[in-house]
Amino acid sequence: MLSVLQKTGRAGFSVLQHVLGRVFPVAGNPLNHLGALTIFFCWIVLVSGIWLFMFFRTSVSGAFESVEYLTHEQWYLGGIMRSLHRYASDALIITLLLHILKEFSFDNYRAKRWFSWVSGIPLVWIIFPLGITGYWLVWDELAQYVALTSAELLDRIPIFTGSMAANFLTDTGLSDRFFTLMAFLHLVGLPIFLVFGIWLHLFRLSRPSINPPRRLMAGCLLAMLVAAAIFPAHSQGKADLAFMPETIQFDWFYLHAFPLVERFSPGLTWLLLVIITALLVVAPWLPPMRRALPAKVDLDNCNGCQRCADDCPYSAIEMRPRSDGKSYAREAVVDPDLCVSCGICVGACPTASPFRTRSELIPGIDLPALSAAELRESIVNTRLADDSANPRILVFSCKGNPVAGRLRQAGEAVVEVVCMGQIPPSYFDFALSRGIADGIALTACTDGDCRFRFGTDWTEQRIARTRDPHLRKRVDGSHIEMLWQSNRIARQNPATLIERFRRSIVSGSKPGDVT
Amino acid sequence: MRYVGQALCFAVFMLVVVWFSIRPEHRLRGADEAIVSVSISHAGKRLAECRTLSQDELNELPPNMRIPDDCPRERHAVRLEVFADDILLYRDALPPSGLWSDGKSIAYQRIRTAAGSYAIRVNMSDSGNDESFDYSETRSLTLHPGQNLVIDFDERSNGFTFN
Ligand code: HEM
Ligand code: SF4
Ligand code: SF4
Repeated sequence: MLSVLQKTGRAGFSVLQHVLGRVFPVAGNPLNHLGALTIFFCWIVLVSGIWLFMFFRTSVSGAFESVEYLTHEQWYLGGIMRSLHRYASDALIITLLLHILKEFSFDNYRAKRWFSWVSGIPLVWIIFPLGITGYWLVWDELAQYVALTSAELLDRIPIFTGSMAANFLTDTGLSDRFFTLMAFLHLVGLPIFLVFGIWLHLFRLSRPSINPPRRLMAGCLLAMLVAAAIFPAHSQGKADLAFMPETIQFDWFYLHAFPLVERFSPGLTWLLLVIITALLVVAPWLPPMRRALPAKVDLDNCNGCQRCADDCPYSAIEMRPRSDGKSYAREAVVDPDLCVSCGICVGACPTASPFRTRSELIPGIDLPALSAAELRESIVNTRLADDSANPRILVFSCKGNPVAGRLRQAGEAVVEVVCMGQIPPSYFDFALSRGIADGIALTACTDGDCRFRFGTDWTEQRIARTRDPHLRKRVDGSHIEMLWQSNRIARQNPATLIERFRRSIVSGSKPGDVT
Repeated sequence: MRYVGQALCFAVFMLVVVWFSIRPEHRLRGADEAIVSVSISHAGKRLAECRTLSQDELNELPPNMRIPDDCPRERHAVRLEVFADDILLYRDALPPSGLWSDGKSIAYQRIRTAAGSYAIRVNMSDSGNDESFDYSETRSLTLHPGQNLVIDFDERSNGFTFN
């Protein structure tokens, strides 16, 4: 059931990613920056919100008029700001939803990775009340509806005695005090929690991506501005508690739960919300549990160079003072509670070299699930047909990547790893210089959107010799093809891509040769 | 070409955003419906009257608890009915609030009714009386479409209000 859902989700994302991949550059695909886009929209909301706040009057009588003033008299600035505030708030619900769906579909929330997931849930409980209290402040017909319905919801919580909803039935019952409370929550209280919550959400990740690429930000902002100019946000009629309009324009992003209150009851609505939240909270521990052993340091081989700690996407490695009396200053220590067993640290370790002959291949840090020695074994054991007219290609693929299956069917030799970033560049050198293969093709998550965050980035940089450990100079870079970079995979059968790579090796035509 | 494609993606995204930000409209009531809101908070009578303790009984209590009146705190539930002509709009027995059942009973309900002229009758009982009502009032009114009629109880005049 769960795996069917996840599979469907992955298929959906893959289709969307391919569609967007046709027009967006590989690194700028919006689907690869959903968390960062959500933060970017929060920024737009914040900046526009400050402008609105400067003109807003916090009273039952003044609120509506002050918003009307901004919308109509000051349409060129206040009106635009108001629309930006509204549309960015709405847009972030879309990116947030996709963000959750994506992390769920790609199984990025289980076991050791529970923290980001669980710390994300309070953010949802902050963002929705933020939007809801925002609608309240406009004090138009929608606000009246929102106020009354949220009061009915709150009345269901047993800690409040008396009926809060009674305050929103007659104009005389309504006090400025309630209004001030709402304004405080919307303007100060909830935003503070949100900032703190986002900080906590990213706390365990190293180098969290909090800004989308510049061009993507520019595009989003431009799109928002155009929408604000064409469809300026406006209020509905002024709130009049003695009258209920027949229909109201409705923000479904924030208010979707409210019709349930009328259709069923406040109690049932709460029950539904609580059940959904509880399911989300326990999700990381629901079966099937996959337990992978954390990376393991071998002190005899660790020289304390810190590369593994720099490259670990989950801040799971700490450099501590040497404990074994060797002359190096420090040693790597893995925190098993943080390690997600991606193997990226192994790819960073200079001692993970397949050329080692004098000693057994035990690197400073290794992954029990697929050790550096086993990886060398599987490379050495691949027998590629020797045919001088047809260069032999060895494919490396992340586990579970559907492309690997298709390539195997097409007769290619595929070696699977946990994550692309697990392969130290010396292994590519090894396979090529030992004559095991004439070319190496790498296939990873779509568009290089690595599910362990940095596997493909680090691979690209190691091969480009901009990140330690570098691919050795003697290796001809044109004999290594990173399929995710080309983005062509969107339109082409991966087997065709491999064929093309083969031909390019024969003709030596591929650009980027470094010899 | 690429930029045209990107612009198209942004346009689709913003159209979705703008659309669901206001549409589909949410229907709150039928075209010729009015709203009757029952919102009454009223304390039922105590289950038992206060009783003055005799001197002997007082002497048995610890010195700091010697209060001459013994008042049971529990209250009766409040029974409430609202009719529009002969149509029953609301009927409930509302238990007292509070951990010791000593608080007010709270009635809150929004009811949609066809607009029109009605004799609105409200009956309330707060003394545990199951046969008859302690308060009863009938008011002839016209409910216009969209009107929100709020029925409350005024403790000072001991009567219902229709706003
Ligand atoms: C305001 C709301 C949220 C914002 C701004 C946000 C932002 C982010 C950002 C920037 C990242 C880091 C991406 C990276 O650098 O790789 C991230 C990761 C993540 N988020 Fe969120 N997020 C939000 C809500 C949520 C929610 C509600 C959930 C789930 C219930 C969630 C689950 C995750 C998970 C599982 C990760 C991935 C961690 C990993 O790679 O192991 N987030 N989020
Ligand atoms: S396996 Fe991955 S998460 Fe664990 S220490 Fe190595 S790089 Fe970090
Ligand atoms: S990369 Fe290897 S040698 Fe360097 S600190 Fe980490 S385990 Fe030790």
